[in-house]
Amino acid sequence: MATKAYDKSFREEVYQNVDSGEDVKLCMQCGVCGITCPLRGEMTHGPRQLWSLIRAGKREEVMNSPDIMLCTSCYSCKVRCPRGVKVIDVMHGLAHYALEQGIVPRKETAKFGKAFWDSIYKTGRVDETEVPMRYTMMAGPIHGIFNMLEMMDIGRALLAHKRMKFKIGPGLPPSKKIRGMKGLKKMLDKAKSMSPGKEG
Amino acid sequence: MDKNQACYLCKGCGLGEALDFENLEEVLGEAGISEVKTHDALCSPEGVALIQGDVDGGVNAMLIGACSSRVKNDEFNFGSEVIVERASLREQVLYCSEAEYEGEEEAGEDRQMLAADYLRMSAVKLTKSNVPVPFQLELEPETALLVVGGGVAGINAALAGAKTGVQVYLVEKEAALGGFLGKMAKLAPETPPYQELEDTGLTELVAQVEADDKIKVYTGTTVDKTEGAPGNFTITLSGGDSFRCGAIVQATGWLPYEPEKLAEELAYGSNPGIITNVDMEAKAKAGDLGGLNGVAFIQCAGSRDQNHLPYCSAVCCTVSLKQAMMVKEANPEAAVYVIYKDIRTPGQSEEVYREAQRKGVVFIRRDEDYPKISESGGKLAIETMDMTLNDTVEIDELDMVVLATGLKPNNPKVVDAPLVALGMDQEAAKKLAAESKAQCDDWSVLNLQYRQGPNLPTLKYAYPDSHFICFPYETRRTGIYAAGTVRRPMRVSQAVEDATGAALKAIQAAHAAAEGVAVHPRSGDMSFPEFAMQRCTQCKRCTEECPFGAINEDEKANPLPNPTRCRRCGVCMGACPERIISFKNYSVDMIGSMIKSIDVPEEDEEKPRVIVLACENDALPAIDMAARKGHKWSPYIRFIPVRCLGSVNLVWIADALSSGIDGVMLFGCRHGEDYQCHFIKGSELANVRMSKISETLDRLVLESDRVRVEEISFNEVDRVPEIIAEFMETIEEVGPNPYKGF
Amino acid sequence: MTYFLYPGCSLEAGGSHYQVSVEAVAKALGLTLKEIADWNCCGASIHYVGGTELQTKTLNARNLALAQNQGGYDIIAPCSSCYIQMIKTAHEFEEDPKLAEELNQILAEGGLNYTGGVKVRHVLDVLYNDLGVERLAAAVKKPLTGLKVASYYGCQTTRPYGEYDSVENPHTMDEILEALGAEVVPFEHKAKCCGSGIFFTEMETCAPLAGGILGEAEERGADMIVTACPMCQMNLEIYQPRLNKMLGTEYDMPVVFVTQLMALAFGGDFKKDAALDRNIVSAAEVLKKSAA
Ligand code: SF4
Ligand code: SF4
Ligand code: SF4
Ligand code: SF4
Ligand code: SF4
Repeated sequence: MATKAYDKSFREEVYQNVDSGEDVKLCMQCGVCGITCPLRGEMTHGPRQLWSLIRAGKREEVMNSPDIMLCTSCYSCKVRCPRGVKVIDVMHGLAHYALEQGIVPRKETAKFGKAFWDSIYKTGRVDETEVPMRYTMMAGPIHGIFNMLEMMDIGRALLAHKRMKFKIGPGLPPSKKIRGMKGLKKMLDKAKSMSPGKEG
Repeated sequence: MDKNQACYLCKGCGLGEALDFENLEEVLGEAGISEVKTHDALCSPEGVALIQGDVDGGVNAMLIGACSSRVKNDEFNFGSEVIVERASLREQVLYCSEAEYEGEEEAGEDRQMLAADYLRMSAVKLTKSNVPVPFQLELEPETALLVVGGGVAGINAALAGAKTGVQVYLVEKEAALGGFLGKMAKLAPETPPYQELEDTGLTELVAQVEADDKIKVYTGTTVDKTEGAPGNFTITLSGGDSFRCGAIVQATGWLPYEPEKLAEELAYGSNPGIITNVDMEAKAKAGDLGGLNGVAFIQCAGSRDQNHLPYCSAVCCTVSLKQAMMVKEANPEAAVYVIYKDIRTPGQSEEVYREAQRKGVVFIRRDEDYPKISESGGKLAIETMDMTLNDTVEIDELDMVVLATGLKPNNPKVVDAPLVALGMDQEAAKKLAAESKAQCDDWSVLNLQYRQGPNLPTLKYAYPDSHFICFPYETRRTGIYAAGTVRRPMRVSQAVEDATGAALKAIQAAHAAAEGVAVHPRSGDMSFPEFAMQRCTQCKRCTEECPFGAINEDEKANPLPNPTRCRRCGVCMGACPERIISFKNYSVDMIGSMIKSIDVPEEDEEKPRVIVLACENDALPAIDMAARKGHKWSPYIRFIPVRCLGSVNLVWIADALSSGIDGVMLFGCRHGEDYQCHFIKGSELANVRMSKISETLDRLVLESDRVRVEEISFNEVDRVPEIIAEFMETIEEVGPNPYKGF
Repeated sequence: MTYFLYPGCSLEAGGSHYQVSVEAVAKALGLTLKEIADWNCCGASIHYVGGTELQTKTLNARNLALAQNQGGYDIIAPCSSCYIQMIKTAHEFEEDPKLAEELNQILAEGGLNYTGGVKVRHVLDVLYNDLGVERLAAAVKKPLTGLKVASYYGCQTTRPYGEYDSVENPHTMDEILEALGAEVVPFEHKAKCCGSGIFFTEMETCAPLAGGILGEAEERGADMIVTACPMCQMNLEIYQPRLNKMLGTEYDMPVVFVTQLMALAFGGDFKKDAALDRNIVSAAEVLKKSAA
């Protein structure tokens, strides 16, 4: 059997740099989160085992695990963990951390999420029409058109039921910014500089 | 005392409609009680006033035919000078019998006969009962408290005792007080929010002891001899001092499990970096935790292991958490691992677990196999199964591996035989256990001058035996209480609690001895066994079988009872073949006569009679509750409460069978390793005695099926009717007792 | 009673029928709803891809600060995702003084300050606790007699703190629906996840989750699924044809907001008040069944 050696550098890295990463310390390996997760069948490790891998120092396995981005944000784990570990926040923190290092655990969600955040960062809000379009166009113009055609049925239906504003192309006409956008941007920048692993 | 008897029958709770009271009065008259009064609700103020009036007029012994003796005790209490016998017409007649059988008339008759028999038996009992006179010690009773063992439990017991104002003697074998507490560097967090390691507090404790003029401390001293009985112990110390005391707390702690025994499994002794938690504590106390960068703790090192200590030592998880925190405090960068099977942190220790985790201690769950410890490049490495990763993992670069070894009972003579007993073949295990037990008696803390040996009797793993669920600090030596790790592994905070409890119990026992009353479970009972010594054959049965070692022996093997050691179980009375042991209100003759008073119908009437000797502590409450719950059973059953199944004398069975009773059941509590017997050995002895009775029955040409022992616990209410029905079926199959009518 | 209504991004578009019906219900019950001027997005479930935890809390702290400056009314967040993000920040702000200080340092960059105390409420919370089922029942003009509904809360509606209902076995919406006269079928999936924020991007993976919910609703004989979360409504409704293709099923299950049914039961207009014309899987047929 493969022997894995425990190495403390990665867990220290997670405790310090990952949002809510310190919570991993408190896990008592009961397995409730793993069995609770709606996507447990799709995950290779699930939260509990990820925490053990972190403690063991298995950087590669953790950072490349698609699991960290398969979280639906259902909060089941968080409400059930007997140790009060904010499982979901650690999952999100790990995903963010991986993405920042150029690792993309799940391509589609990453693309969509980026478009989403960009919209917030630019306008303060998310335009439910614009973001999916931007997201679909991210694959490049040709793929984008195909993707868009594929989503056409849905778009058309939403449009017909007054649940989408009509727009011709991505970002046209430009979405309205909130009035306090300048301040918000400053705040977000400041918040980023104060986030774990970003200080100094 | 001249007895002035009367009987009161209650017509409340439906009894009035169900029974023929005229007939009952007749029955009582035949039984010699002519003064009979009935009332519609005896327990009402008017009913009680009626009785009280008669008491004031001179009635001093009464039979109350109403509800169970387990209820309405305050209403029917007319002072200790008035004998009250209760016939349970409500629970044992009305509630549990049918009002009518399908399509037949007879039910009323069966019910009436049942009630009549209970009144007959109670009348006999009343006639044969006397008011007990409490036992008085010859010398002025002593209330001083002896505490043996000057560790955390002993010190706290002494302080608690002194606080109540009694004189306390505190005896410690080492040169200074402190015990293991004195060897500890810190305590695991004991107070909210359970984040800081705490001082042991020993200095303050010792200062308190020294400042207390009620406490006399003997250090460097052991107990040479403990003679006497509660209220009148005489203690002789190794230094020659001698004094009397009323009760004793033994708080003599524990022994560390020997790590040498783990040489094979955990490489103990092969490398100075492999140490025990005891060594680790010493290091910490010496301030010697610097320079540690990698430390691993291996939990359950020898504990929960059939080859070593089969039990959980209860404290080693918390101890490792504490020591891990100490390593982290000395060097926050250190990599600290705890390799465990389960982390067992009862109560607030769970908070300590969390705190250790917050400090960054890493926990790895292993399987049953011990991790492999090896040496590489001057450091230690561990290979273990990681249950969460489901893979073998390696932890290297370790400066130290701490084995979380467990606690043993404090008797250096204990061989591990009783400890490994579970893991080996039963015969060999039993033999070893017996050898170990014998060997254990070569060493004693108290050196009791008791016929049954110098030590507190043990049950399993050489820890003192007690009915520990109901009466935690009790031992099988009345007036001697065990506190702290001497009775089972426990944390410091638990030992403190134990010590207080034990000290107060001990003081209570000394007072009970002075007043001549029993301690639990028959607290306040003033009766005690009296021996008609002229007829004693020196058979030794009573001295051997008394579960509490109450009876000593002189050189000629005459029994020497010590009533203040006695718990009034009646086991000796059950044991005595000469039937010369009796209580003022409980005797062989009394129960025998009750049995004989039962009216046994002729064989052709097809109404069998079965008696059930029911233990008052478990069976009787279960029967009462079953009746109250509406369970019904055969009206041919007659219950006779006994103090303990151990008090059942075999002659009663002969009495029953020879008077035509078809079957006898002994109904009591569970015996064996998980016994529930309030008197520890009573139900076990009953079982042993009964197993020998079949011979006698054969001699009488009687089927051994007619006699049976059944176990029940007081909450197994629904089993009562099942057990009875099954026995009745057997009796039916066996057929009528051939001695009927003789 | 005055509240802030925090519409969030989804009520502005994909959940527009939620907003319309919430406003209609509020009007019928005499609640005044105000908008937090210049609110920003809460970050939703997918915030973490681009933002850090502190940035997401910043987004929510800004809204809380604005609400405080503008009158400090309780904030109703009908979208479960908005609710959860906002209440998390509000909660942690009260509990963790260090975080509170950090957030105020950050808010200061935009000239804002928050001192705590603003309450974040879910629509169900306000309906159930501030008004109570008896008042709701009294407002019913056209009871939904005969309508069988699967009351589906989804995962985020009562979480993470269970402030107003059980996180495992919620009941407030069941009682509200019963007050409207509908029959609530037993529904084991009531608090199970549909795929939530990643449904759109992980449809293959999440299809069985949504399929399980639709499947149980159908098995239980529900005429429709009723929800209080725009994400659930969207995921379960507009992708139904796709799910059918992926799972080989033939679901045709209307998924409506609890407030849509309320608007209707309170005597409102199918279109104007209940905005039921905006449901892609039409509920018109099944609603005819009931007296409404
Ligand atoms: S539920 Fe909590 S304690 Fe249990 S394994 Fe998951 S994170 Fe660890
Ligand atoms: S919040 Fe994420 S990780 Fe937690 S149970 Fe739900 S999907 Fe799984
Ligand atoms: S306390 Fe912990 S280490 Fe000690 S025996 Fe029990 S489980 Fe094992
Ligand atoms: S057997 Fe029971 S009654 Fe007899 S002396 Fe011993 S404790 Fe007392
Ligand atoms: S059991 Fe009876 S006969 Fe035997 S020694 Fe004791 S008192 Fe004497």
